[in-house]
Order: sequence, then C-alpha cells, then structure tokens
Amino acid sequence: MPSWPEKPKYISSHHTRIDGPFKVTGAAKYPSDVQPEGWLYGMILRSKWAAAKLTKINLDPALKIPGIKAAVLAPAVDERQKSSSDVTMRYYGEEIAGVAGTSKQVCLDALRAIEVEATELPYVVHEEEAKQDDSPRVWEDTPNLSKPRIRENGEVDKAFSECAAVVEGFYTTPVQIHNPLETHGNTVLWNDDGVTCWASTQGITSVHDGLSQGLHVPRSQVRVISEYMGGGFGSKFGPINEGLIAAYLSKAAKAPVKIFLTRFDENLAVGNRPSSFQKIKLGAKEDGTLHAFEFDNYGTAGIGGGGPTAGGGSGLTLRAPYIYHVPNTRVKQAGVNINAGGARAFRAPSCPPSSFGMESIMDELAVKMNMDPIEFRLKNDTSTPAWQIRQKQYKLGAERFGWKDKYKKPGSSPGIIKTGVGCAGSSWGGRGGGSHAEAEIHPDGSVEVRCGTQDLGTGTKTYMALIAADVFGLKPEQISVRIGDTRFPPSGGSGGSSTSPSVSPAILDTCTKALQALQEKTGVADARGANWKGACKKLGVNPLLTKGEWQDGLSGNDTGGVQFAEVDVDTETGFVKVKKVLVVQDGGLILSRLTCESQLNGGVIMGMGYALYEERVMDKNSGVVLNPNFETYKLTGLGDVPEIEIILFDMPERGVIGIGEPSTIPTAAAIGNAVANALGVRISSLPITPQKVLTALGKDKLA
Amino acid sequence: MKAFEYATALSPDSARDLVGKDGAYLAGGNDLLALMKEYLVDPKRLVNIKSLPGMDKIHPGSKTWTIGALTTVAEIEDHKEIAKTFTGLQQAAAEVGSRQIRNVATVGGNLAQHSRCWYFRHRDVHCLKKGGDMCYARHGESKYHSLFTGNTCISPIPSNLSVAFGALGATVVVLRDGKEVPMSIPDLYQKAWDEPTAHNSLQQGDLILRVEVPVENHRSAYLQISEKSVFDWALVSCAVAANVDGNKLSNVKIFLGAVSNVPYQVQAANDFLEGKTVDDATAAKAADLLLEKAHVQAHNGYKVPLVRALVRRTLAQITA
Repeated sequence: MPSWPEKPKYISSHHTRIDGPFKVTGAAKYPSDVQPEGWLYGMILRSKWAAAKLTKINLDPALKIPGIKAAVLAPAVDERQKSSSDVTMRYYGEEIAGVAGTSKQVCLDALRAIEVEATELPYVVHEEEAKQDDSPRVWEDTPNLSKPRIRENGEVDKAFSECAAVVEGFYTTPVQIHNPLETHGNTVLWNDDGVTCWASTQGITSVHDGLSQGLHVPRSQVRVISEYMGGGFGSKFGPINEGLIAAYLSKAAKAPVKIFLTRFDENLAVGNRPSSFQKIKLGAKEDGTLHAFEFDNYGTAGIGGGGPTAGGGSGLTLRAPYIYHVPNTRVKQAGVNINAGGARAFRAPSCPPSSFGMESIMDELAVKMNMDPIEFRLKNDTSTPAWQIRQKQYKLGAERFGWKDKYKKPGSSPGIIKTGVGCAGSSWGGRGGGSHAEAEIHPDGSVEVRCGTQDLGTGTKTYMALIAADVFGLKPEQISVRIGDTRFPPSGGSGGSSTSPSVSPAILDTCTKALQALQEKTGVADARGANWKGACKKLGVNPLLTKGEWQDGLSGNDTGGVQFAEVDVDTETGFVKVKKVLVVQDGGLILSRLTCESQLNGGVIMGMGYALYEERVMDKNSGVVLNPNFETYKLTGLGDVPEIEIILFDMPERGVIGIGEPSTIPTAAAIGNAVANALGVRISSLPITPQKVLTALGKDKLA
Repeated sequence: MKAFEYATALSPDSARDLVGKDGAYLAGGNDLLALMKEYLVDPKRLVNIKSLPGMDKIHPGSKTWTIGALTTVAEIEDHKEIAKTFTGLQQAAAEVGSRQIRNVATVGGNLAQHSRCWYFRHRDVHCLKKGGDMCYARHGESKYHSLFTGNTCISPIPSNLSVAFGALGATVVVLRDGKEVPMSIPDLYQKAWDEPTAHNSLQQGDLILRVEVPVENHRSAYLQISEKSVFDWALVSCAVAANVDGNKLSNVKIFLGAVSNVPYQVQAANDFLEGKTVDDATAAKAADLLLEKAHVQAHNGYKVPLVRALVRRTLAQITA
C-alpha cells in the first residue's frame, strides 16, 4: 500500500488552481456553455397553482409556433395520464411539460401557448397552519404532521429536578435554498447511438444511473460529461426532472436539447434545506455538567424530502443534543408537509439548524450559570466524534481571537452600537472510499491522470495534479488532469465532503503503481524528475496505462472545528455587521492549502447568509414563493463579508478528511451568540434581520 | 417578453411621436426590460432616447442646477461639486443598486421606476396594483411595505433620488403634449398616493427632460437602512435639506422613502424644525410629527424605529 510522501513539494502547498486561468478567461466550458451541433433551447412549464388537479393539457398550440421542435409532458405527468390517474400538482412550480425550440423566446412563447386547465385545490404553505388537524392535506392519505419519532435516554423528568439551573428556548430556522450560481440543468443528446448528457452535477455516476433507469437505455449506452460545474451544495445528484425532460425532448426533436433553469425556477423546485422549530429545555448540575435535555422539533421538507434525487437524507431530522454529552435526553421530532418544493441534501444536512438551536441554548445556560461559554463547552463537549480535537481548537482559537478580553457580560457593551462575541463547534464525517483512477504515461513524457469524479469548484483537479506531481517528481503543470466523464474509472458522487478522501488515495495509488510500472518496464531504477523523459522514451510506441483505486489508511474521518464571531449591532436600526470570523478547522492531511482555505471561506460566507439574510418566503394567499430571485432572496455580498481568519489544524497523520461541509455548520450559531452577547437579548429566529432585532428590543411599535 | 418595435429618437418631439399611445421610452432599461421580461408591461414600441441631445448633461448654476434626465446615477455619485452642493443627492445616488446598475441607470429612469413590491413583481399574483381586487401584502407578507398610503395599495416607492430631490425642493420638468410642465416631487407622485395602480403621476407619452435643483439650502443629507451593507433596497430612507446657521435650521424639508407610495413628507414636521436647534428632543419630536399618521401592518412595525433613527441621524449630519 502506498503512503503519503513524507516531504512533499506540492501536496499541502499554497498552489493556485490549475484551472483558474480557464475559469477566469471563460475558456472553461461548463455544461451550460456547451453547444453541440444543432442544439436547441429547452424550457419547462410549471404549475402556477400551489395545489390543483389538472383536467386538460394540450401541447399542440406550442408545436404550432415556428421554431418549436418538440413538446413533451413531464415524466410523472405522462405516467399519470397514461394510467388514467388524476394529475395532481402539489406545489407552485411543479413540472408539467417541456418544450424545445430554436431560441429562448420561442420557448417562452410556447410555454404561454400550452393550454392547461385545472381545478384548484386547497393548499397550505406555512408550517404552523399545516400542522393543524383541519388543514388541507398535501398528500390525501396522510396527515401533514408526521407521527413524531421519540427517543429517550435516562430519566429526564427526574434529571431536570436534580439540575442547579435550567433554561428553555424556542429556536427557529428558515427554509434555505441552495441557489448555486450555475442553475440546475443538462444538455442532452438522445439518438440511436444512445444518450450523451453534459450535466451540471455533483454525481456523474448518479446521473448515469438516473438516465439509464429513467429512459430505459442500457447503462453502456449512456455517457455523462461534467468537466466543470457551477456548484450544487447537495442539490445536484441525478438527472432529475429537468434532465429527463431534456432527454425526451432531444429524442422527439432529434437534436441536443439544453435545459438550464431560470433563477426563478431554481428557487421553486430543485431542493432546499428544511425549516426547523425547536423547543429546547436544557439543565446542568452545580458543577456545570449538562444533566438533562428535552427537545421537541418539527420542520418542513415541503411536499417531502429524500428519494432518489436527494443525495441522501434531506436533513429534516436534527442532531440533538448535537455534539454535547447529556446523560438524560428526550428527543421528539416530526416533519410537516406543506405545498412547496421538496427538500434535498444541503451542505451538512441537518447540522446548521441543529447547531443554531443547541449552541444558542448552551450560551443561555452558560450565562445563567455565570460561566464562560467556552469553559462551559469544554466541560460538556466530551464524548462525540472529534471532541478532543475541539478541546484543543477552542483553547487555540480563544487565544488567537482574544476571547478573554472580548467576552463581556451580555448587553454590557456601551453605546448605541453594541459589540458582542460568540462561538460554536462542529463535527462532521468526511470519510471516503470507492474511487478508481488511471494514469496514462505517454512515450513523449506527457502524462494524463483520469478519474470519473467531478469538481464542484472545490479544487479536485488541482490536488489531483499536486499528488501526481509529487509522485512523479514533475511540476503540477506537467500533469493533464481529466475528470467528469463516465468513460473514466468510476469514482462516485460528491456528497458528504467525501470527494477528496475518496479521490486522493486513488490518485496516490494509481500514480505510485504507474511509476513502478514505468520503472519495471523500462528498467530505469528511478524514473522520477530529471529521469522522467528518458524513461518514458523507452516505452516505445504505446503509452503505459495503469489503474489504481482507493486504499484504506490514507484518509480519515470525523473532523472537528470551532468558529468565533465578532459583531456590531446597531440598537437603533437593528443592523448587524459581522466584523470578524475566526475558523479553526481540522482537515487531517491538507492536500491543497489555498483551495482548502477557499472552501472554508465559502462555508463561512454561506453560514453568514443563513445567519443574517437567507429565507424562502411563501405567501399564504397565493401559494407562491414570493422571493424567487437574488433581489429578495438575499445572499451574503462582497460588501458584507467580514475579515475571515483561518487556522488550519494540520494533522497529516490522520490522512485526508473532507472539509467542504463542516465549515458552514457553526457560523450562524456563532453569529447568533455574538448578537445575543452584544444585546443581552437573544434573537432566536434566523435570519437575524433588522426587523427581528428591533422587534426583540421591543421597538417595533408606534408609541 | 412580447415582440416589440424599436426606434431611436433624435429629438424630444420625435420621441413623443414615436412612443405614441402604446410605446415606452428606453433609457438605461434596468426597470423597463425587467418589467417586460415578466410580462408586467408590454409596450408595442421601445423608443431609444439615449441619443437625445444634451439630456445627459449637468449644468451648475448660481441659483439653480440643471440635471438632464439621461444623466447616469453614477455621474451624480461621482460629481465632486454635487457632493458639496447637494450632499444628500450624492449620498442617495451612491446607494442605488450596484455600481454596474448605476453606470447605466438614468435620473429619469430612477424617478419613473415602478414598484418593487414582491406581489406586484410576481408573474402569477394578480394584485391590486395590477388591477386585481386585493392588496396581498395587507393580508400577507408586509415586511417591506408602507406605513402611509392614500389608497389601499401599500407598496412603497423605491426611488432613492426622489427622496433626495424632494428634500432639495427640486422641480422635475416633463414634456407633456408638446409643452414643458414643471412638477414638484409631490406633484410627480401624487397619483401614486391616490390610485393603487399608479406608480407616479406621469401620463402615457410624458417624457422627463430634466431636474432643476435650487441652490437654496446649504446642507443636505440622505441616509438609508437596508438588510445588507451594499446593493440592497432601503427598508427606510430619509433625506433632509436646510440652511444651518450655527445650529439653527431654516427652510427645512425632510422626506422619508420606502414608507409610502410617494416620497413622504409632513408639513408640520418641516414647520416644527424651522428655527430650531437640533438636539435629540427636537429630532424625536420631528419624527413623531412624521409618524403621526403611520399605520403599521403585520410585519413592518420595525420601520417606526428606523424612521426615528434616520430622522435623528440625518439631522445630526447636516448640523455636524
């Protein structure tokens, strides 16, 4: 089994992205950029009703529009119609049909020309109303509120009576939309040769499976390509409806069809992070050790979550009591259906809301017990994965952040603009496995490293080049890295922060074996570096192809991280300015320092959006998503981003661990705690807007 | 969007003729094109007015400045003399959209833009402002909505510049039926106060030519609060202009934005501030007068303290 080089030149270095220049200049072709010969625009007609029974769908008027080459029903609608079942729409934005044509405008015209008649049905779009017994049901046969799952350990009621201090709180988090910058979509060609799909995806293999199964085409005749893609955050596994519709349109039109969602559509139907409504009670004994915990949560995954397109669970069920050790716990969780798009996995599913609830009440209890929040955490973060790492990180981070000087009694900051600090911790798996790769060494000394993975923008290609360069004694620029094609060795989807711990061992194994093979074949004892070209020349005519795969022992699992936030809160305007976030994150062996830091920055920026800006707003009187755009679905902007300081907790002995998700987990909780520390009043509902701050301060009144 | 004809006008009169009964003037296009893409308006003809001569100029004057309707918002933001003479106007311009938007957005377009209410802008909600029979915001999500209205629609005016121009006592000169019609800022928006479907008092074919800003006040300020630091709409904005002698105010005008379908002022507040020395109590009383007729909806009560804070801060800024 290979091992990581002890003194690498490139691994762990601050090397810039190898594909950076292509991305900056536009030379990089994303799936939404590709233009195969004769391609057509595709668009999707969506339900304008939150709930309705469709009584008539007539595609003919669309087909009469000049330039329109095909119109098809959405697969689910087609299936229902063929079996003479009711076609029921259950949310605003659900797919009805698709059209393909020679311009965007003819497609828009065609969508308006399709005749759809419907009988409107009662609907419900807010969780609190959906919970009620007399609420309209999203699914006829099932109450909206699921039967709660209850888990109990120890003797909770007795334990609370033994506590020296008990606090209670109600914490809510909104539905968050993934909103990757490249929207969901595919360019698909389906002809007699099979299916070729240029997919914006985090799983070329899951798109492969989905197309093969959904279109009933043998897997061997489906090819999926995703050389670049513009983000997914958990919502881009499988071809999903837009991929299947594009395929059917392509078959009907006999041309490649490109469907990339509009930003409007992106906010309706392609996943979200469920909301949460967490009632928490927490008690500790005299010495500050947690003793009793009660948790009652519900949230919505819209019409539902999970399923084949979700990339795992949707994160409706929270982690409680999160990362803390409490001997006596009663945890009750339920889901509530509403007439809105379904949830999908979203960067660290279930963790940011879990963190916000639990880390908030941890601070409440620390304050009540007159303990420093970090001391309180050190005392109680003692049993869950990576707890020992977090213990060290809190100490290191507190020192760097100046916590002792900055942490003051809540609300004691003087003046109109109050300063506060907060912290929060996280854990995540980040385990890998299953990747395959191959290296092709050419007689002219050039070398290709191929892997059927995909780069979500995180830097996969870059660390592949760094690893190969170190093994071969070459420069990263000399390695041609090829990914994003199902014709390459399979590597699985990019979810659960598993890409780097999966791919990197496979690359190391492949390259190590390739070097051995080269040396054996050519008789050059050490073919690395200066000897490389000479050795390759000896290969003769044919290149040398070597395969390798993931090996155990090169990657790790269970990463820990802590974050600290400092904020200013204007008590007259409710405006929160995040001044600084300090990230202390463990990622085991860091493969590529610069892209790793970029991921941590991104996690903080996204977590800050969750803390202060992002929220899907549903309207009860029309059933629509009111803010399907970046004007009112607000994201952290450049002007909002604070100073972000990163301390990478280097632990190369643990192997490679994925860090894409954990960095976004504790940010909102740390900011929420900092706001509470500044004000002496907690805003227990995300996002923390001026409206909520002023309301919490009791100022939202005329008199 | 629906198909349309396109023409370029070379004089205001030809622009008027080309636009006819069912066309629209195209300048920066930020608002118009977005409305067309959402099928909220469907002009038969777009008349490009960017080539109208002289309308993109700023003319300083000893008594009155003239700002052409085609002046970009960025040009106001960057104009060093405007920053000195009409500080509040420069501040209001700098808060419009993003720099990319300000580079193409025009003064005329900023003043004439339509409501940003998320019900009005939603393609599948037929609200009162679009001729429907219900103000959805009143019965739904009202956190961005108005405290004051003369009708049933509570969508607030989005124009920053209108608030600053209001405080500065500016006159908007409009070409109507071949004649130049001077309109005060209150005139320009009166119809939006009266009628739910109106965004301003402009009639089909009216063309904003220029804004005339009197140099009668030596101090002005504009402040807004948004949810984000930059590139966001105001939750509440406030502009004030006055002469300041020592700490004493005269010829005071104070306007609020994003709290009404018009740039909102209360004459009693202006009158009260006349001759006053600014301190916290004076500012609070002025805010009380401004808020006297406020009507709070389900989610916008927080705009009340925002008004108080901004009134105090803008007054403090001009007396600092």
